Amino acid sequence: MVMLSKKTQGSKMRRLIALLALVATPTLAALPVLAADPPAAPAVKGLWLLTDYPSQTVRPGEVANIRFKLQNAGLVPETLALSVDGVPAGWKADVLGGGQPVAAAMPGINESTSLTLRVDVPKDAKPGSQTITVQAKGANQSIDLPVTLTIGTEAPAKLTLKARLPSLMGTPRSAYEYTLAVSNDSGKDLTVAMSAQAPANFQTSFTEGYGTNEISSIPIEAGQSKDIKVKVTPPRDVKAGNYPVLVKVAAEGATADQRVTLQISGQGRLALSAKDGRLSGEAQVGKTSDYTLVVSNDGTAPLEEVELSGSVPTNWKVEFNPKTIPSVAPNEKKEVQVAVTPSDKTIAGDYVASFRANAKGESSNADFRITVTTSTLWGIVGVGIIAVALLVLLGAVARFGRR
Amino acid sequence: MPRNQGSREGSPFTGLGPVFLKELSDHLSSTRMMVLTLFVIVFGALPVGFTLQEIRTVTASDQFLFLRIFTVEPERMPLSFVVALNFMIPLMAIGLGFDSVNSEFNRRTLSRVLSQPLYRDALLLGKFLGGLATLAVALMALFLIVFGAGLLLLGLPPRGPEVARGIAFLLVAIAYGGVWLAVAMLFSVIFRSTATSALCALGLWLFFFILWPMIASAITTGFTPAQFRSVDEVLTLEQFSSALARLSPGTLFGEAVLGLLNPETKAFGYFANLVMAQTRGMIPGTPLPLDQSLLLIWPQITGLIAGMIVLFAIAYIVFQREEVRA
Amino acid sequence: MSDPTRADTVIEARGLLKLYGATRAVDSIDLSIRRGEIFGLLGPNGAGKTTTILMMLGLTETSGGSVDVLGFDPVRQPLEVKRRVGYLPDAVGFYDHLTARENLLYTARLLSIPRRETDARIMEAMRSVQLADVVDKRVSTFSRGMRQRLGIAEIVMKRAEVAILDEPTSGLDPHATFELLEMIRGLKKAGVAVLISSHLLDRVQSVCDRVALFNRGKIALMGTVVELANKVLGAGHPILVEASGVDVPAALRGLEGLQQVVPEGVGAWKVMADREIRATVAKRIVAAGGSLTRLAELQPSLEEVYTRYFEEARRAA
Repeated sequence: MVMLSKKTQGSKMRRLIALLALVATPTLAALPVLAADPPAAPAVKGLWLLTDYPSQTVRPGEVANIRFKLQNAGLVPETLALSVDGVPAGWKADVLGGGQPVAAAMPGINESTSLTLRVDVPKDAKPGSQTITVQAKGANQSIDLPVTLTIGTEAPAKLTLKARLPSLMGTPRSAYEYTLAVSNDSGKDLTVAMSAQAPANFQTSFTEGYGTNEISSIPIEAGQSKDIKVKVTPPRDVKAGNYPVLVKVAAEGATADQRVTLQISGQGRLALSAKDGRLSGEAQVGKTSDYTLVVSNDGTAPLEEVELSGSVPTNWKVEFNPKTIPSVAPNEKKEVQVAVTPSDKTIAGDYVASFRANAKGESSNADFRITVTTSTLWGIVGVGIIAVALLVLLGAVARFGRR
Repeated sequence: MPRNQGSREGSPFTGLGPVFLKELSDHLSSTRMMVLTLFVIVFGALPVGFTLQEIRTVTASDQFLFLRIFTVEPERMPLSFVVALNFMIPLMAIGLGFDSVNSEFNRRTLSRVLSQPLYRDALLLGKFLGGLATLAVALMALFLIVFGAGLLLLGLPPRGPEVARGIAFLLVAIAYGGVWLAVAMLFSVIFRSTATSALCALGLWLFFFILWPMIASAITTGFTPAQFRSVDEVLTLEQFSSALARLSPGTLFGEAVLGLLNPETKAFGYFANLVMAQTRGMIPGTPLPLDQSLLLIWPQITGLIAGMIVLFAIAYIVFQREEVRA
Repeated sequence: MSDPTRADTVIEARGLLKLYGATRAVDSIDLSIRRGEIFGLLGPNGAGKTTTILMMLGLTETSGGSVDVLGFDPVRQPLEVKRRVGYLPDAVGFYDHLTARENLLYTARLLSIPRRETDARIMEAMRSVQLADVVDKRVSTFSRGMRQRLGIAEIVMKRAEVAILDEPTSGLDPHATFELLEMIRGLKKAGVAVLISSHLLDRVQSVCDRVALFNRGKIALMGTVVELANKVLGAGHPILVEASGVDVPAALRGLEGLQQVVPEGVGAWKVMADREIRATVAKRIVAAGGSLTRLAELQPSLEEVYTRYFEEARRAA
């Protein structure tokens, strides 16, 4: 990686030196601050202190961590003492390597050592620019890296938010999922909070690009962009129409928003239930029992030609009145009589009758538990048998009694 | 021959009370009754004990747990409480009734008692009711022992429907005992020798418990076609076989008890249950309410009661036609 | 019965008939028993005595005729009859596993005797038959005689107006028989009409005021013992003659009033006559040179009456 970047960066180097401008390569940026002679691509040899942003803005009371590198190109490694010069009074500056203060570094041939200049800016630092110079000093060479720190307001965080598909169409029961890209266009990592303004009773939730966990904020590194998904659930009874949802992201004073739109079209929704809500009933063997079913439309568009059917145990009869309902408007309920006749040979017990309402593309099922009871007729016959037996006894008493 | 029976005066029930009370007290204080009760308790206690042990280890919730005490066949003993009762009750009833009338003849007490102001009607009915009450007392005691043991060992009270079913079971058991008591009394009226009467009653008992199932199955086999053409044909054959088996009071009692103590029972016969569950859309395993269970077993109950009455009527007619003189 | 003499008549049978198939077990008998008398129903086994009794109690159907017991018809009102009539069946049985008291208690319950009185009445009855000391013993320990007496006690306790005793003395030893007959006399003294059936004629003869002789379902003879003897044996005066050294029948031949001389063993004869002839008999024997060792008037024996009657009946047949 180091070798590769040296090649690509070599040609740009002069231009960069001249402009002292930011080079926005996402991975590694190298800036030769001081070189014995201008390096010619692979042949260049020497020692450099490099940083991406030699001039930065800091705020009083903050700690600025300025990452830099000590680059050795083709030289024999040696110990290079590190020092910091030009630290204003009250300020504190340290060179850190691997998170610890270091006093020297020794990069290998064609290698670099990552270092950080940690500057504690006092709270009362005066506005203006300060230049702090980092120096690496070997036996026979010395290189400097001046870093200019400007006290003042930081460059404001900047966020952009963009929806891939800002408008979706569907029914009240469809899933409305919008993918949005959030970009952190500032120089620092940000934790971005998300929110959405939706019409009343609309529910919104955020998830990570391809994740399923709901989130309310997401960290985005400086310059990076992340996809988030917002899912909007409209209420079931929502009327047809366009509903805007304003998605907002915010971090450290920066905000961005994007309007997405739900284009909800109307739909009928069929529901079949028992009138009193009890999905069970009683019936007598061989006798017709009537139950009242309710066909309702919970949807937003009328339902046409609702057909009713039922599946009952073998040899049972089932009849609907009416068999077909021409139309059920939204939020309308219509009653249907269903007559169930258990067959003569049914024995007492619990049976399932399944009723079904069918409209175009919509259907609803209701399982009815029917408790079949036997007629008490046989009970009366039984009593009759006992009565006959008693009559026999009474006859015997009349004929032979009282002796 | 009898010119003026219809004009006889006085209630045929005169003296019924004293006869009933005497029979009851005789039975309850007799050694025979103690032996019989002991017998039944031993036969009943073993399966109940084993069953209780098994039920206690079952953790699955069962809304009719209490009734299982009566019906579960313990693993260690191929005999449930109700099955034990099924053949112990007849033995008890026969023991109570086989000498009720002929012993009066043999002790030469009959004509002396009948010379008191009462009709023979009251004597026979009093004896029958006394025996029935004795059975009821013994069965009730047994029933309470089992219920008590269940309470003690299961540590939970029976629910209302379970108590109701238990009481209905007790009543059916008494009616079943009544049938056999009437059989025993019929023989005691027919035969002067108590030994003959006892032998005949016990013979009938053995016949119904050992021989009749074989005969019934042989008859059914005779009617079985080489090939069944429909499910209904199989059902019809099973119904025929059941009808034959139901000529035995033990079958009636067994089915009645099954319907009462096993609320899930909806049909009798293995095949009938299978067909109902699989092709007729019945939800299996759901309990029936008590009134439906009663309707299901109503033919069995009425069969037992009517059988008891008819047998008593036969015994009554035979007794009334007999000469008092010893 | 609207008969004004009913107060005296406790049992009245008219043409009483009982058929067993074609057999006439009781063949149209007429019978009347008065209050306070002991009536003997005598005859061989199977003559229809017990059947007659059972019909009087309403314990068996009549095939014809009528009976009236204390103004009630046993056919229609058996309970009323049985409430008032005590019955001691042939070889009476009691519940062996119960004590005498418990046995009587059961009867008392059947009779609906008030509970307060029960105990006193049982003890009174038991004392009257001299069984008070064994009242709490089990009947299984009782002898035959004690059982019969317990049966009498039951009748006493019942305060029956009529006592019907079927073969009360059969199977009893002479002493027990004697005691029992005394008790039967006691019943009579208490104003109870007693009907005794027996085939042991000589035993009951002594207590009976009147007897009816049964034969094949019919009453052959009825009346007092003396009446019967007069009727069958002749209204005579039988005497027993024991003498030696003389041919008694020869010596008495031609005596006025003499009817018959029957040898009664060695040196003994029974002499029947229609008048008192003992003095003449003695004279004749002595005159014939015989030595008279005994000359006694004989009581008419029912057995004799009976035997004679049936002999004649057979001869006539």
